[in-house]
Amino acid sequence: MADFPIPKNQSLNIQRYDYRLTYGKTGRARYISHLDLMRTMQRAFKRAKIPIWYTQGFNPHAYLNFPLALSLGTDSKIEVLDVALIEELEFDEIVTRLNACMPEGLYIYNAAKPVNKHTEIALAEYEIRFDCNVSPEEAKQRFEHFVQRDKIEIEKRSKKKGVNLVDIKPHIKEVSVNVENNMTVINVILPAGCEFNLNTSAVMGAFCSLESIEIKNIYTTRTKIMCKNCEDFI
Amino acid sequence: MREKIEQLLLKTQKPSRYIGGEHGSIIKDKSKVNVRFAFCFPDVYDVGMSHLGMKILYGLKNSVPNYWCERVFMPEKDFEKLMRENNIPLYALESLDPLTEFDFIGFTLQYELSYTNVLAMLDLAGIPVKAKDRKNLTPIVIGGGPCVCNPEPLADFFDLFVLGEGEEVNLELMKLYETMKPNNPTKQEFLKEAAKIEGIYVPSFYDVDYNDDGTVKSISSNTDTAPAKIKKRIIKDFDKVYYPDGFVVPFTSIVHDRAVVEVLRGCIRGCRFCQAGFVYRPFREKNIDTIKDEVRCICEQTGYEEVSLSSLSTSDYTEINQLLENLVEYTDKERINLSLPSLRIDNFSEELLEKIKSVRKSGLTFAPEAGTQKLRNVINKNVTEDEIMTTCKMAFEGGYANVKLYFMLGLPEETMEDIEGIAKLAQDVVNLYYDTPKEKRGKGIQVSISTATFVPKPFTPFEFEPQATPEEISQKQKHLLDSITSKKIRCSYHQQNVSILEAVLARGDRRLCDVIYTAWKKGCTLDSWDEHFRYDLWQEAFGECGVDTRFYANRRRSYDEVMPWSHLDYMVSHEFLVRENKKAHNAETTRNCKEGCSGCGVKKECGGVYCG
Repeated sequence: MADFPIPKNQSLNIQRYDYRLTYGKTGRARYISHLDLMRTMQRAFKRAKIPIWYTQGFNPHAYLNFPLALSLGTDSKIEVLDVALIEELEFDEIVTRLNACMPEGLYIYNAAKPVNKHTEIALAEYEIRFDCNVSPEEAKQRFEHFVQRDKIEIEKRSKKKGVNLVDIKPHIKEVSVNVENNMTVINVILPAGCEFNLNTSAVMGAFCSLESIEIKNIYTTRTKIMCKNCEDFI
Repeated sequence: MREKIEQLLLKTQKPSRYIGGEHGSIIKDKSKVNVRFAFCFPDVYDVGMSHLGMKILYGLKNSVPNYWCERVFMPEKDFEKLMRENNIPLYALESLDPLTEFDFIGFTLQYELSYTNVLAMLDLAGIPVKAKDRKNLTPIVIGGGPCVCNPEPLADFFDLFVLGEGEEVNLELMKLYETMKPNNPTKQEFLKEAAKIEGIYVPSFYDVDYNDDGTVKSISSNTDTAPAKIKKRIIKDFDKVYYPDGFVVPFTSIVHDRAVVEVLRGCIRGCRFCQAGFVYRPFREKNIDTIKDEVRCICEQTGYEEVSLSSLSTSDYTEINQLLENLVEYTDKERINLSLPSLRIDNFSEELLEKIKSVRKSGLTFAPEAGTQKLRNVINKNVTEDEIMTTCKMAFEGGYANVKLYFMLGLPEETMEDIEGIAKLAQDVVNLYYDTPKEKRGKGIQVSISTATFVPKPFTPFEFEPQATPEEISQKQKHLLDSITSKKIRCSYHQQNVSILEAVLARGDRRLCDVIYTAWKKGCTLDSWDEHFRYDLWQEAFGECGVDTRFYANRRRSYDEVMPWSHLDYMVSHEFLVRENKKAHNAETTRNCKEGCSGCGVKKECGGVYCG
């Protein structure tokens, strides 16, 4: 016998309605881990009385899917949450009702029907602001020097191969570096998704060790999620 | 400050514990607030956030528009270290303001092993730990909770204690402060007024004298406004008591991550070892409609998928079946699990089992506490072996295969025969499983025995009893292991040293303040965590302060000894405790409150369902 009763408000093969939500995760909410975010969202739907479709397997659970994880501590303006409901609702209504129930720092911008598949996610754009042991101008120059290196090797851990060296240089794309309000600001596009994913912390870690930088404060924001052709993932 | 905190968060485990911002947390405009209260739980977030009392008092204080109550927890050692290295004082989770900016700092004292955390938290906030070193009016450091029935080991550190239930007295105290504050009173002036409020105990207003043999000679008031005896507070109309309409919903998973509704307070049973059974008297209930409304309200506000009915013994609720029928109707519809902790064996009906099963099936836990009927009579745990077997039979036929049994070692009048009784009882449960038809029973029987060392507590009939010595307990543990023959029985026990320390602190006097201070100075904090508990440091502290643990833990106290807590009135009378102690030694039981009043001393006026 299952640990969980068969959900009573749905029979088998119930109609599901799929939605793709775009939301922001900023401020205090940036410290919610990926696992905790799942719970947080599920509870927000419950509070908003928006009925989620449950998976129909042996152990039914609410169908919520985050196609691309966000590193702990990173802000984002364009996170994606896929959800299936058992009711068809107006996009605006979903947005309004959820936002009334969200904790500080989580905000739904938009609801729509999903267009792309999860597997199409290939790139993400980030804005990284930081101050460090050298002046912002100096840090800007060092970063420019950093991305012009022939090779940037980092250690990457994987379950199969253990620790091995990977050259991330060819993966760092479309870089711009500026100085704003006494901070160095980097805009960068990195591979994302299930095929190959590169975190900003890996890039910044390599930058710090190769260019002798010690970071004091750092704020990272994800600004775009894109498909292979550089078009927005929708 | 916020920036500084944020830059450290990524260097620590589960950072969302240190930054607040949860759904349901209350942010107020500081300029419109004139009393600020920092509610401190002296343990880590995961534990403290599970505590119902905090949720109630947080909601209560914040329901007054110009009062702001915030939450504070003990950081884990890694984050404490980071905070100290970066000069971040302990702060509250809502405003992220340091504790020094608050009018009240209130600690809830739930267990003895959290005492050093109180000192650590004050110190981390940059506040002197000893009350006499805090000269200004604020912050006023106060304490409440069950351990306050003997707060003497903490007397040096607190300005005042709140005895009993907090829903009324907390607001009275804050109101008094709000009224006096514009006149800039001294701390002494404020405490003198506060002492007039029923249930407020100001330890510095009492002098303790000792006899040559080390026992307490007398405790007397040295201030005209401080009464000779301080009486605990009780909510008389429990059905109408404040209950929050929302909880703070944590991001990270905590120990009890669910909605909770308190259905009754107090306990009718009178198990002689159980402090909660005496200090929370009398037994009071909420009406079914009240409970229904509260369940619905909390579930809707939090979005939790599980709700638990909380009390010392939920199955003692007078109309438990009607209550569950009413609730299941709602929880089923909303796909919410209904969980019932603290069920008793003797009134665990088949119907009840059926109701829980329709929602969720986990293991069953029973607490027979003692292995033989004789010893169960001694402790007045009026559960018979037949009842245990009937319930287990029902459970096995219902498909349950995991049974946990809780026992205590070192109870008064305990013999080796009683220890063998534990093993025998567990074996009988295993046998019963194999007697259950195969098609009905679940797979893989597992009986777990968990034994704790008995700790005598104040305001129980066993407050006079010595705790068994470590040698006796080791012998008994070994004998228990030798008596178990089946591989289906697993046995575990608590760390012995922990129980000794609990026994000393639970019945200690003011001379233990120095020990706690010294132990904390040596680095003892988070003592309730096995990985942080340093008994060697505690032993050093006892040695340096010249305090003998055996005097507090292993000494039989006479009926006429002045107990360190004898100036506190928890309504259960001394005569009743003596009577019960004598009956215990004769293995005589006492009926429960429902069957008839046994004259414990709690007055009818206090609102008890079965009193008088």
